[in-house]
Amino acid sequence: MDAFAAFFMVFTDLKLLALVAAGTFAGVYIGAIPGLSVTMAVSILISFTFSWDVHPAIALMIGIFMGGVYGGSRTAILLNIPGAPSAIATAMDGYPMAQRGEAGTAIGITTVMSFFGGFIGIIVLALAAPSVSQFALKFQPRDYMLLAILGILLVGSLSGESLVKGIFSGAFGILIGMVGMDPLTFTGRFTYDLPLMQSGISFIAVMIGMFGVSEALAQLHHLDSAAVKQKISRIVPSFGTIKKYLPLSLQTSSIGVIIGALPGTGGDIAALMAYDHAKRVTRKPSRPFGKGAIEGLVAPETANNAAVGGAFIPMMTLGIPGDAVTAIMIGALFIHGLNPGPMLMVEQPDMFWFIVGALVVANFFMLIFGLTGIRLFTKIVEMPRAVLIPMIMLLSVVGAYAVNNSITDVYWMLAFGVLGYFMRSYGYPLGPVILGVILSRLLDDNWRRAIISEREDLGRFFHGILTSPLSLALFLAVIFIFFSQTPLWTRLKAKLLRNKNQEAQ
Amino acid sequence: MSPTDHDTDAMQDDVTDLHEHPRDTRRPGEAGFTILLLLASLFLLYSAYDISGFEALSAPGTLPMVTTLIMCLTGGLIALRTWKLPQIAGQTFSREILPPVLIVMALLLLGYALALKPLGFLPTSFLFLTLSIKLLWRQGWGRTLAISLLTLAIIYLVFRVIFSVLMPAGIFPEAEMLQFFRNMLGGGA
Amino acid sequence: MKHLIIGTVSALAFTATGALAQDYPSKEIAGIIQWGAGGSTDTVMRAVTPHAEDVLGGTVVMQNVTGGVGAIGLNQVASAAADGYTLLMGAENPLLYKVMGLGQKDYSDFVPINILARGTPILVAGKDAPFDDYAGMLAYIKENPGEVRFGSTGPGGLPSVVTAMINAVEGEQDVIFVPYDGDGPALTALQGGAIDVMPAVLGAAIEGIKAGAMKPLLVFEPEAVATLPDTPTAISANEGYNQYLPWGPFFGIFVRTDTPAEAVEKLTAAYKEAAEQAPFLELMSNRGFTPLNISGDEAQAFLDDWQSTTAWLMQDAGLTKASPEDFGIAKPAE
Repeated sequence: MDAFAAFFMVFTDLKLLALVAAGTFAGVYIGAIPGLSVTMAVSILISFTFSWDVHPAIALMIGIFMGGVYGGSRTAILLNIPGAPSAIATAMDGYPMAQRGEAGTAIGITTVMSFFGGFIGIIVLALAAPSVSQFALKFQPRDYMLLAILGILLVGSLSGESLVKGIFSGAFGILIGMVGMDPLTFTGRFTYDLPLMQSGISFIAVMIGMFGVSEALAQLHHLDSAAVKQKISRIVPSFGTIKKYLPLSLQTSSIGVIIGALPGTGGDIAALMAYDHAKRVTRKPSRPFGKGAIEGLVAPETANNAAVGGAFIPMMTLGIPGDAVTAIMIGALFIHGLNPGPMLMVEQPDMFWFIVGALVVANFFMLIFGLTGIRLFTKIVEMPRAVLIPMIMLLSVVGAYAVNNSITDVYWMLAFGVLGYFMRSYGYPLGPVILGVILSRLLDDNWRRAIISEREDLGRFFHGILTSPLSLALFLAVIFIFFSQTPLWTRLKAKLLRNKNQEAQ
Repeated sequence: MSPTDHDTDAMQDDVTDLHEHPRDTRRPGEAGFTILLLLASLFLLYSAYDISGFEALSAPGTLPMVTTLIMCLTGGLIALRTWKLPQIAGQTFSREILPPVLIVMALLLLGYALALKPLGFLPTSFLFLTLSIKLLWRQGWGRTLAISLLTLAIIYLVFRVIFSVLMPAGIFPEAEMLQFFRNMLGGGA
Repeated sequence: MKHLIIGTVSALAFTATGALAQDYPSKEIAGIIQWGAGGSTDTVMRAVTPHAEDVLGGTVVMQNVTGGVGAIGLNQVASAAADGYTLLMGAENPLLYKVMGLGQKDYSDFVPINILARGTPILVAGKDAPFDDYAGMLAYIKENPGEVRFGSTGPGGLPSVVTAMINAVEGEQDVIFVPYDGDGPALTALQGGAIDVMPAVLGAAIEGIKAGAMKPLLVFEPEAVATLPDTPTAISANEGYNQYLPWGPFFGIFVRTDTPAEAVEKLTAAYKEAAEQAPFLELMSNRGFTPLNISGDEAQAFLDDWQSTTAWLMQDAGLTKASPEDFGIAKPAE
């Protein structure tokens, strides 16, 4: 079988087509429900498809993956509860749109842009996988650390009324991520000798608590106000709209592919970085960011779907997972007698082209399922709040439990829900908390790896940063963004300008 | 719009626009909350020091100390700023921040979480849904019961039956019940 | 979704016949996997269980309960009822919990249902490492003390045990240990040049070796392995390794000690048959694992032997928090 035939295998085989469709459909809903994750669904499928051939098994998994990454945006937009970590950034502008009655438009744009981002990811996978993976391998611990710092600087974009509160929230998030047995030395950190603290605090529990329960509690203030009527006349965005956001979506898709291809970073970080990028490069957003800017939807949604293709890059070329889902898929390939690794592309290029083909099909189905059934979804937000709030709470509890089958996670979730409510009430932004939790391990582990590799010598550490082109570029980006995001720079600039003006006078 | 735009015209109003919206009043309870956060941060800083002290740059406690130090500094700054502000007029803690309905719902949630393990998923969830919908919706028992049963059935189907998430069984023998139905289905097929 | 439901229903058609004939299993069995989704323990367990379910006439719902080097999952099973409805699907780590101070429980609180397979440790170097074989590595370390970077996965992990063996046999090596989350991420780092040498399990490294992305230095087996016949064995490099080998990480399925005999027998029979299936054996050999498929006293003897060798090795290397003696772990016979 040549590459061409392998690529079109899914298009022509009705059974495979149906499996990808079923997977994508299921994925959209799995992604939309907080607590049900693509990772979980795909690992269940490993046993379930054990006796199948490899092609149908992978086709089903790819469908779920594609649909799931997209599905997270649904609940983010409608309920302000991201169904999956990669939809956190989507909630920031998607929910304000839903509150204006524009949920239909928001979902429409999200779907089309996810489709677009997905395609960019697939194209890069198909055309440039070997070179991208070689680039991804170049990342040393210090580069991952710099990347994490770059991510943490997003706090500036995510803080609402006060940067100081944003920094506090971000640091708090990083701290949450550090609780538990340190995975590198098995020293307890903030465990206070309590067994329940040892496994750390589940990130998903924090996310569901901070976004789900705290949102539900906050909604209790508006019990008697009528639900927002959603107009769903215009779902598919016009061609003009798509054209307008084309340059931005190309940039954010590229961010998505690269971050997705890096082992150890995935769609969640990609989406947040893309959101930040959009905020920096967009001069005149359709509305201010955080108040329902279309750009704030376009950026994260293109990026997280582009990250899907990206995640397959190291998996297909090196046998290294790009994220948790591709890690399970590698296991699935093993079970089905394939040996994912650097030789897979050489020995079995068919498998590569089959996966690319399946991704393309899944992407189309995502578009179809995304643009249909919106009416039903928007009905959810039109339910009376008095019914919706208990439902959200129940779903939060079940979701937090389901992640790790742990009642402890439920308690954590509730604690963070209540804390989140107070933080919300007093103007502490919650986005940075989640950002901190996501990046905590990346930052801490890689900082320590980097400094251990240089024998605890800061001189050697900085020498390494300055002599490696990649590290240097990341380092300069960190410096640039740091100064441009803090008032320090603008104050300095204002002062300089004033001096200049005075001189001129 | 953001200050990294190289557009100097836009730069001027950005400074105040994006980052700092200093409120000129504080909300009820806000001052107390900042103090609580500051105290918690100080305690966490001490805990962070306790992990490994100043052992090495790569020690497990190094970054936690940096992080908690940042929390202490920003927490202190926030507390200072907040205390200077006058309290917003006409708002009370028990109305704007923690009205009775919120306390009741939070307690219901807590009760739900506590009873989940001993009582089991189905009875606890049913109780929680019925009580909270009845309390918030103020409709008849019929509609309340119907809604909560329907919601519970959907969640049970998705999580327990399709995704095999083993929710705590508790007093209700739901695993055996499920097996019974499966046997019936399996026997019929 | 439809497929899932149909699949669940049809899979349960088997259940019907089994459950009618006998009492156990009368409901789903929970299988707690100590390690995360996509890891080798996860893959092995999810591969072997479907056939065991068929034999058993029941459903095994597998869940990943991760954290604390697997201790969280182990404790969860230990605190569940001893009725045979909660299985522990684990790896070798718990046998070191006590001496490493990671927990008060280990497999002595459990009955082994099946020890499925054992892995082969291998020492690999990055393709740009300034040495090509084991002797070259030792010489290079001697000439450049404190420069060679070894990957590690924390105390008690396979790299720490293999390194302890090297130190015990060849004398203390002055190298840097860079900690990673597991051998997967560490081998990635090896290919990117962030570390120079990594003690890993053969299955994880084999594809990289075949592609020339890493250099095999030494396999820790008494005899050369079929997949890498040209790689020297540890014993050929130094006789001293004899006392520790064969040694390797393993995968096993356990239930609590007080589980009813009927359940233990049925589970043992089911997993024994499942582990004999050709696709499973093929998976094991592809990944470089040696199938064991042992249960009962044989499995217990294997566990005791493994624990005594490893715990005392770690003790002699000064890596333990408590002496194996405190827990009645016998010193291995010389």
